[in-house]
Amino acid sequence: MRAHSGTHGRDVRRLGWHAVLLASVTVMVFPLLWALLASFKPANEIYGAALLPSSASLENYRVALLDFPIGHVLVNTLVMASGVTLLQLLVAVPAAHAFARFRLRHERMATALVTGALLMPPQAVIVPQFLMVSELGWRDTYWGLIIPQVSGCALAVILLREHVRAIPASLFEAATVEGASEWSMLRFVTLPLLRPALGAVAILVFIGTWNEYLWPMIVAPRPEQTTIQMGLQLFLNQEGANPGPLIAAAMLTTLPIVAVYLVASRRVIHAFLQSGLH
Amino acid sequence: MTTAPRGAWLFPAPALLGLVVWMYAPMVATGVLSFLEWDLTSPTWTFAGVGNYVRLVTQPEFANAVGRTLLYVLAMLPFATVVPLGLAIVLWKRPGRASDVYRALLFLPVMLAPVATAISWRFLLNPLQGLVNTLLGGLGLPQPNWLGDPGTALPVIVLITAAKIAALNMLLFGAALTALDRSCLEAAHVDGATEWQTTRHIVLPQLLRTTVLLTLLCVVLAGQWVFTNVAVLTQGGPDGATDNIYYRLYTYGFTFFDIGTASAAGVVIVLVLGLVALVGRKRRART
Repeated sequence: MRAHSGTHGRDVRRLGWHAVLLASVTVMVFPLLWALLASFKPANEIYGAALLPSSASLENYRVALLDFPIGHVLVNTLVMASGVTLLQLLVAVPAAHAFARFRLRHERMATALVTGALLMPPQAVIVPQFLMVSELGWRDTYWGLIIPQVSGCALAVILLREHVRAIPASLFEAATVEGASEWSMLRFVTLPLLRPALGAVAILVFIGTWNEYLWPMIVAPRPEQTTIQMGLQLFLNQEGANPGPLIAAAMLTTLPIVAVYLVASRRVIHAFLQSGLH
Repeated sequence: MTTAPRGAWLFPAPALLGLVVWMYAPMVATGVLSFLEWDLTSPTWTFAGVGNYVRLVTQPEFANAVGRTLLYVLAMLPFATVVPLGLAIVLWKRPGRASDVYRALLFLPVMLAPVATAISWRFLLNPLQGLVNTLLGGLGLPQPNWLGDPGTALPVIVLITAAKIAALNMLLFGAALTALDRSCLEAAHVDGATEWQTTRHIVLPQLLRTTVLLTLLCVVLAGQWVFTNVAVLTQGGPDGATDNIYYRLYTYGFTFFDIGTASAAGVVIVLVLGLVALVGRKRRART
């Protein structure tokens, strides 16, 4: 009797769990789904209760492509996101290697610098950063968009440090016996073993930068030079009353990232779950 | 952990140099600017002493922004802790394909451009024709002016932002659970422990450290998380209802070009955050 009610209870509970999870997923994904469907609607159907357009058309996309310098904006964002990702990984990998591998003098100060940077609100330093970029003549340039964002490398350092720590010490010891220098250990032990984690961290940094709003708004506020987030904001100011093309533009900038994520989601999530970040 | 070879400092040097040049030096500069009166463009400035700090603390808008920031922190806390904790446990308890798919979909909001999401919500929440109010009207329920009413604007901003935070923290709790030995649970089950007992006495203690960390991060960063949504959807309004210190700082600097006051606000924020982080670290060290 007990066993029977047990299985029955388990079935009910399983259904309950699926209901909770499905509801959560719906809440999370609904705005995206709605926007995707709305982007194919004629102007007079964007509002209102019907989810599906009466007749789907690409008209909104046509207008968006005409009025919104989407090509420029996408290229700018791609260059910025790739540049920042490369730059952050380039500085973060050796740092992570050193923090995980050996006890440096003044290491506490160095770690404090890294963790402190994680907490520093970008708005508090943005005026001097802007002045520095202006002084260097980097406004409206890729340099200005990319280089200062090295200040965001702290998260990459911390995530990667955990992964280097997870590398068995015996691998390094074997290399030491063979007389390898620390640089070649970084190159031939750490780097190959770090590759899956590097991929995941790269994806995270890339997406974070792709979605950056404040910095492009300050250094590159003009439509031709700016990036996606700011570009959408400008388009919103300009087309606020014209919702169709606006939503289409939002979709054009969102879908590439969703596509990349859906391909890589397993990897991203696995990297997070195994990150040791807790 | 081995002793450092010669030149060990060269390894972290580029990262630290980047942080010093582009994060800490600007912070020092912000400290200097906070004692000046300057409008960002004119070639001259005047020394203001502590005038900017006095102006800052006597301005009702700043007091309002501080209060609102605390409200954001409180409202965001459950979405940074309880909700993702529940989701993470449920997903961890039944590993398999279904859980993988749920996890991937739940994490999707983290990947979406905040402005794009905010644009969707702007239309969905339109007071007259938006889908949400159309549905509420159909059910004969009241139809609030979600983003235009001081009473509902802040909760709406919190909920929109919460999807991302809950998703991200779900994976951080997940990471903590991955480190938990499943056989321990099975042993407890064999000994007759109920589902609830194992959750309460084995799973939750494992998550304590993460919970403390994420609570701390929420306290420090909640105002930061909502920044883009506030900028796109409400600009701090209506009537200051969705303002917060980060948005205020940004407004002082780049709307009013009052660099001195913006910098003073920056200094105050960093000092308070530093204090919170120090206290939090002590607490965390104890757990």
